[in-house]
Amino acid sequence: MLWVDQYRPRTLDDLHYHKGLSARLKSLASSGDFPHMLFYGPSGAGKKTRISCTLRQLFGPGVEKLKIDQRVFLSPSKRKLEINLVQSNYHIEITPSEAGNYDRVVIQELLKEIAQTQQVDLNAKQKFKVVIINEADSLSRDAQAALRRTMEKYMSNLRIILCANSTSRLIAPIKSRCLLMRVAAPSEEDMMDVLQNVAKRVGFDLPPDAADKIVDDAEGNMRKAILVLEALKMQSPNLNGPLSIAKPDWETYCHKVADLIIGEQSPARIMEVRSKFYELLSHCIPPTVILKTVAERVVDKVDESLKADIMHWAAFYEVRMRNGNKKIFHLEAWVVKVMSLYKHFFYGIDMSDFD
Amino acid sequence: MAPKGTQSSLRTEKLPKSKQKTVKLGALPTSTPTRSYDPLTAFSTLPDSSNPRKSSQNISKGKGKAREDVIDLTLESESADDRLWVDIYEPITEADLAVHLRKVEDVRRWFLEAFNGGPSGKLRKYRRILVLTGPAGTAKTATVRVLGRELGFDILEWRNSIADSFASYDGELVPQVNEFYETLMAKFEAFFNRVSNCKTFLTPLDRNPASQSSAAASSSHIEQSPRMSDRRIILLEDLPNVLHSATQARLHAILHAAAVSPPSDPPVPIVIIISDAQTVGEANDERVAHGRRRNTEVDGVVDIRTVLPRDLLAGPFVTQIRFNPIAPTLLRKALQTLLNTHFASNKSAQPSKEVLDVVVETANGDIRSAIMALQFACVSNSSMRSKTRKKKDGNMTTVMLESITRREQGLVLFHLLGKVLYNKRKGDLPSSSASAKDIQKEKMQDALIKDPPKLPKWLKDHERKASRVDIDALYASTPIDSSLYSLYIHQNYTNFAVDTEHCDDISDWLSWVDSSGGEAWYQANPYQFHLLTLGTLHSLPTPVPRNNQKIVKPQFFEYLDKEKDAWEAVHNVRNWIISRTTGQDGNVWRTCGWSAPEVALELGGVLKALDSRQRADRPPRSHSCFSRMAYDNSVSSQWQQLDEAELDISDDVDNDAKFINTNAGEEVTGRWLDNDDIEEF
Repeated sequence: MLWVDQYRPRTLDDLHYHKGLSARLKSLASSGDFPHMLFYGPSGAGKKTRISCTLRQLFGPGVEKLKIDQRVFLSPSKRKLEINLVQSNYHIEITPSEAGNYDRVVIQELLKEIAQTQQVDLNAKQKFKVVIINEADSLSRDAQAALRRTMEKYMSNLRIILCANSTSRLIAPIKSRCLLMRVAAPSEEDMMDVLQNVAKRVGFDLPPDAADKIVDDAEGNMRKAILVLEALKMQSPNLNGPLSIAKPDWETYCHKVADLIIGEQSPARIMEVRSKFYELLSHCIPPTVILKTVAERVVDKVDESLKADIMHWAAFYEVRMRNGNKKIFHLEAWVVKVMSLYKHFFYGIDMSDFD
Repeated sequence: MAPKGTQSSLRTEKLPKSKQKTVKLGALPTSTPTRSYDPLTAFSTLPDSSNPRKSSQNISKGKGKAREDVIDLTLESESADDRLWVDIYEPITEADLAVHLRKVEDVRRWFLEAFNGGPSGKLRKYRRILVLTGPAGTAKTATVRVLGRELGFDILEWRNSIADSFASYDGELVPQVNEFYETLMAKFEAFFNRVSNCKTFLTPLDRNPASQSSAAASSSHIEQSPRMSDRRIILLEDLPNVLHSATQARLHAILHAAAVSPPSDPPVPIVIIISDAQTVGEANDERVAHGRRRNTEVDGVVDIRTVLPRDLLAGPFVTQIRFNPIAPTLLRKALQTLLNTHFASNKSAQPSKEVLDVVVETANGDIRSAIMALQFACVSNSSMRSKTRKKKDGNMTTVMLESITRREQGLVLFHLLGKVLYNKRKGDLPSSSASAKDIQKEKMQDALIKDPPKLPKWLKDHERKASRVDIDALYASTPIDSSLYSLYIHQNYTNFAVDTEHCDDISDWLSWVDSSGGEAWYQANPYQFHLLTLGTLHSLPTPVPRNNQKIVKPQFFEYLDKEKDAWEAVHNVRNWIISRTTGQDGNVWRTCGWSAPEVALELGGVLKALDSRQRADRPPRSHSCFSRMAYDNSVSSQWQQLDEAELDISDDVDNDAKFINTNAGEEVTGRWLDNDDIEEF
């Protein structure tokens, strides 16, 4: 088992950071009036850990008896959709993005089914069941609209916990029906604490230098930090020496793409960059992540006066990417924009036309 | 008031005798019923020929008899020329064929190899199935028949007999009809086995009606040349319903068995003729991208891949020969020969050269439709002349013919992209290879294009010359939907742009057009095609420099396939993590902390580390699909070039098809260069 899973805190009291949040969740869970909730925050901040701790607080250890089910849904066009469901007696967890375009169908069917079955366990602490929706920000608008009605209708025996990276993609009616819980990324000290704690439980000494370096590399992503720690430990049992943390392949790749963009600006180079983007996309790297990583690298390398513009266009095309279907168009549009900005700058042409 | 009858008989008088009957036929039946008729005038104007007079006389006596005579008349004229010219002038020898000689040679060589086994004698084993593909009316069947006569083999043809079965059971038990219909495939199987295995079955003795009395035999229509021989081929043109998956599976099984089994002696090769259906290609990428599942079947299109199983296509037993649309020169020659024979007795009735021009031009290389059009033109010509309207004739016929014969045909994708990407504008210099006639034509067209209004000073950089591309016409004839179209433009525009500025504009258009719709299909922007085309035309340099750009297929679909595999790998790894957590105390503890993107982004390092350890519980190997990315400096140059033979109905990159195409490969490239150069646009 990976350390991340093995040493994950199980109760709200075990949590290492955001104590105030934990206290609040605890009192919410014991108040008997539990609302719909929306957890949001950067990835690796501990949202899901907090959700599962809250569930345990609500239902007791029985909630940890999980089973994985595969359910088949029929899309309107009679296509079969297989969705993995993780569930206990008290809750059910789904990732609707697995259903792609048909997330509305899945959400509706599933919620209706759960909402219409009463809690049968007489010893259950709560009358309601909980539905956890992962990656809620990837829900389509249709599905969100469907959700909003369900949330009101079945309030008596159903609570929904949404988990998302940002609330910007959720429609306002959903947000207003939930209690919003922001889980911020842990501070560096928090992360050090956690790493040391993990090391202690595994049974080795983590040199502070190494911890420092890992935390530095992880950029507030606790999961990433622990994974890196595990990988390092696996490769070199002794962590005292100088450490070199290898970046993931895709990140290095993105950096090289950024270098390509700065290196030359021509239609031929655009083709080249396009191929690289295709390569990245075909390795399941989300386009938003690609854009962000490449843009950050490009910004690092260009003149101060260009940085704002490049980031502006990155944001601009990111929005279009979310609305559009073919991610590559928008990635490429940004690249071409950067190229022509860079070229204009290079030839000393007045930039005031570009807003 | 002059009765209609007299008019028609008057007309007959003026015409030469050979034409009489046709005209009479058209006029008489309409004029027979209920009309007052003056016997005196009718008789006085009657011509000497006996037939018309007889019929007119009868008409004046009464309806019933008149009809009899009319029928008489029809029968008589039918024997003269009532069949279609297509049937009358079916090619008999190779010289009659309007197909390129090399193509005929290809097919002939295949047949010879199939029967004799080629120089080494071993090829016989591999010449089992020949697939002739190509647009309708490109003499595929005719070539086989001509070669059949030449090489002396019999053609055993399968024909679906749905009409027969329904007719024979008409009004009787309905379930029986269904049952009968169901067994069509079984009959096909029976036919196939019989024909390919039983050598004696086709001896002339067995071909008497008695032996054909079985239900199965009634559906197999057997044609034979008068000369008997023991060489036979099976011709499958009218296939069972292959779009029904069960039927398709059975057909595949039959063909597979036929191909793999050792050849009987003498061998019975199978010829399958598939006419390309022109359908609109669609990029179902969005659906696919979200659902992460591909439906490879394009609904309702019979092409080589639906008829033949995949492994057979890739194997050595199947040869594909692709027929191209018939070249205008060959078509004209063939039509001219036909006219010469038809009007051998009276040259004056032959249609004018303009008519022939129009027919050739509008046929789009479809000789069947060309001959039909020609016959029609001759019929209408004669009737028009009879109305003494010769003056307007020339113009009228062309206009009318054009409106009737013009086949609805989509622009080939290749040409569509050429039109857009070359961005021709009014007053562009003609290309170096253009002939004087082309230049003249271009000038004429330019004269018709209106100049756009002058733009004010602050918009000067948006001023362009008027474009030669008529967007509405283009839109009307696109073979693909705008989504796929945008992918093609996206893949190819960089080759046609000079500077990053041009690219900047186009890519922005692409991005905007893509994001301008809503989430659902019904919110899609209906003007995508227009906007994208206009945007591309506006942004491209003018004129586009020509440096032998190639139009290639989008890499998009390749990437989609790879992405699908990678996602599968991600899910495998995720399941692997889950399986590792379950082992310990029976229940799963917090496994779903792993969402797919998290696995893809963050697990790489750990997976690599795990890989390097020699332990039993290693992660699934497929994880390298997403965790490993070697940066490759070389620019991948393996883009698939688009050629015009391709309509790209199926978007999947198909290597099998490429493999088979090698036979016809040289032909394709040759045509690509000389016959229909892209610069003509």
